[in-house]
Amino acid sequence: METIVKNRIKQVKKGDQNAFAEIVDLYKDKIYQLCYRMLGNSHEAEDIAQEAFIRAYMNIHTYDMDRKFSTWLYRIATNLSIDRIRKKKPDYYLDAEVAGTEGLTMYSQIASDTELPEDQVETMELQETIQREILKLPDKYRSVIVLKYIDELSLIEISQILDLPIGTVKTRIHRGREALRKQLKDL
Amino acid sequence: MKCSEEIVRYMHQYLDHDIEEEDEVVLRHHLKTCTACSQHFHDLEKAVALVQSTSHIEAPADFTASIMKALPQEKKSVTANR
Repeated sequence: METIVKNRIKQVKKGDQNAFAEIVDLYKDKIYQLCYRMLGNSHEAEDIAQEAFIRAYMNIHTYDMDRKFSTWLYRIATNLSIDRIRKKKPDYYLDAEVAGTEGLTMYSQIASDTELPEDQVETMELQETIQREILKLPDKYRSVIVLKYIDELSLIEISQILDLPIGTVKTRIHRGREALRKQLKDL
Repeated sequence: MKCSEEIVRYMHQYLDHDIEEEDEVVLRHHLKTCTACSQHFHDLEKAVALVQSTSHIEAPADFTASIMKALPQEKKSVTANR
């Protein structure tokens, strides 16, 4: 996979945009998921995930081919997500009205969109609950937990993505996991 | 009945696949004999499983197309050579 990616990046560096589209297709779900878990709503996740790919394209000449591309890309996406968290008002979008649908929030739209079987509704409610608990974590714990559990990234990769000593990454994962244990144990 | 912080540290090292063999033996033995720590470990594993259960979302369908539209124009020479 890394070899294919690096060949595509050589083409991108020469200015070939189709090669970049392939890169986006390969990583879009992981990057979108990372942003979604960090930010907690699809609107912002899409915005920041797109921004991450655009920045990667614009700065592709600064990417060092000897390093893993995904580490570099995750780093851009994580930094943009953390910047957004620090700028935004808490829960800004959670109860925001959806444009053109007076009184309808994202939640009610999801819940009443189509009639879902009961177990599917329960699964969605559970997912929303877990997401809310992840969002309660301070961003320094949230980022390590999200990186660790969306892609099973190694401690070394996480330390490279966040530019932190591995000992710090371990401590943050431990504390983040302890916080989640307390928050989720009664589910 | 509060057990040593060391045991909790071992639990996390275990979950990160970052534990020394002899520490793992100590941990396993302790979990068999201590209900409180066994519950603690169970709750940690549950939290991890719950977080992992959320890991299946996909980018919107038009995601790649929107990015490609937002990029600056391609260099003419590359387009011509393809």
